[in-house]
Amino acid sequence: MRRHGNRNLGLIALFLAPALLLFAAFFLYPLGFTLVTSLMRWKGGGGMSPNGLANYAKLLGDSSFRLAMRNNAIWALASGFVQVPLAALVAMILARGPRGWRLLRTIYFLPNVISTVALAMVWVTLYNPQYGAFKALLGLVGLPARHWLGDPSTALAAVILQTVVYIGYYMIILLAAALSIPRELYEAAQIDGASTLVQELRITLPMLRGSLATCVTLAMAYGMRHFESTFLMTGGGPAYSTSTMGIALYLKMDALRYGEASAAGMILILLGTVLVAALRRALGRGDPLAEAAQ
Amino acid sequence: MRKDAMRETMTTGRAAARLAMWAFLGFFLLVSLLPLAWLLVNSLKTNLELEAAPFALPARPSLANYATALATADLPRLFANSVLVAACAVALNLAVASLASFALARESFRGREALHTALTAGVLVPLIAFMVPYFTLMTRAGLYDKLAALVLVYAAINIPVSVFLVSSFMRTVPKELEEAAIIDGCGFAGRFWKVVLPLSRSGLVTAGTFCFIYAWNEFLMAMLLTSSLSARTIQLGIRFFTSQFVTDYTGMFAAIVLSIAPTVLAYAFLHDKIVAGLTAGAVKG
Repeated sequence: MRRHGNRNLGLIALFLAPALLLFAAFFLYPLGFTLVTSLMRWKGGGGMSPNGLANYAKLLGDSSFRLAMRNNAIWALASGFVQVPLAALVAMILARGPRGWRLLRTIYFLPNVISTVALAMVWVTLYNPQYGAFKALLGLVGLPARHWLGDPSTALAAVILQTVVYIGYYMIILLAAALSIPRELYEAAQIDGASTLVQELRITLPMLRGSLATCVTLAMAYGMRHFESTFLMTGGGPAYSTSTMGIALYLKMDALRYGEASAAGMILILLGTVLVAALRRALGRGDPLAEAAQ
Repeated sequence: MRKDAMRETMTTGRAAARLAMWAFLGFFLLVSLLPLAWLLVNSLKTNLELEAAPFALPARPSLANYATALATADLPRLFANSVLVAACAVALNLAVASLASFALARESFRGREALHTALTAGVLVPLIAFMVPYFTLMTRAGLYDKLAALVLVYAAINIPVSVFLVSSFMRTVPKELEEAAIIDGCGFAGRFWKVVLPLSRSGLVTAGTFCFIYAWNEFLMAMLLTSSLSARTIQLGIRFFTSQFVTDYTGMFAAIVLSIAPTVLAYAFLHDKIVAGLTAGAVKG
């Protein structure tokens, strides 16, 4: 078409300007700002002075930050390889159209529209060792209650366990992909005498490969940037046992160590980018970029 | 005889599989509804009832906790702040994103694809890494502790998602409609306002719903960028201003139920749009 010399160029620029301005202010400028200040000694208020890579060295030498990085790795693995497979299983069942599957799809996604603040407070009360629901449940089978969120040996597991309510997000994506598989494939397999299980393994799973890759990539990327529910449930404690890079960043900022906070931000961005790139390479197809945009 | 036995094991096998399937689906149904049910049921009880039997239904359901919550926690003010922030953020976001989407979806110019990719790639950026720059930027702009700061941040953060959704809708508008409009004397802005925008209403509703839910639920930036009651949102209220509930759990539950009602209601009415939005790109996978 009129690839060159569109006579509306002025108007096009005018229409794009507000979005580009906001994008520059809230995506590009912060990236440059974080990079620059991560190389500075800066306490927030006063001036900055060049500090080389000292902020990075300090963080990487700090055992609590290393613990936070390890926890992010655990989050990423749990999200990609527990949450997504569970979501895939639910999606494969719903794609077979059992009674009420549309309603189930709607309900399974529901927790994703409820604020993390509200859900975190629910979980804190459910885990409460005095009157919580888990105490009551375990009491039925004669097991004692524990202070799950207050004990360094159980806190991380307890915080991760509650993310099971969020599988609906990946389920929706995988279900849409499963429903788009041509029905004739299953009919042909049926005629050949293939059981339901065989059909799922030989038809559905291979056809879902691209969407599964997308979901695993998304889930692991979210695991790397995990912050909110942990911050709200344990604040990263006890003894940093549930800390993540995001929480470490927040605590550095709270302690007015802005240079180190920025370095933590850069490490978070770099690790996340490397992970997404590596996963896209390893898992091949699937377009996390396009699908993440939803 | 053997055939009968085989048929029998097959049907028992199938029945067992069905049972396992429904148990699995039922488990996730329970998990998805448990937090909500827990909140709702316990918000109608007294604290004594909660302690004695956390799972039991209240002997006499009472709305007393809701009255307490509304009276003690500055809840109406926080609620109004959240409504204002979310409404303004959605309006700003849709205005900005639909203008940009029109240029990206309906015009051809050099660098169009690159711009579209760059804008939508914003979703891959871990925004929690930007706590320091967002705080610094807003403080320097004199917007710290103002609702306007949250409006700007929420509108901006949702640009990638909205541009993706709205531009993909705008692309589906038939070119002939625009050409007819040009013959009728419509200019650039007229094609946007009178032809393409009205036909993309569905995409706008989807993008607006996502933006609304995000703005209503957001916690971290609201905590970082505000400090006083006049600029705090309901999420902060639930988190911090409910310290008076420290022993009154059922009152706190009532406050939380009120805080989640808007997004749950939005979801109840618009879940089809949300599902469609989430899967807009997934089916090609």
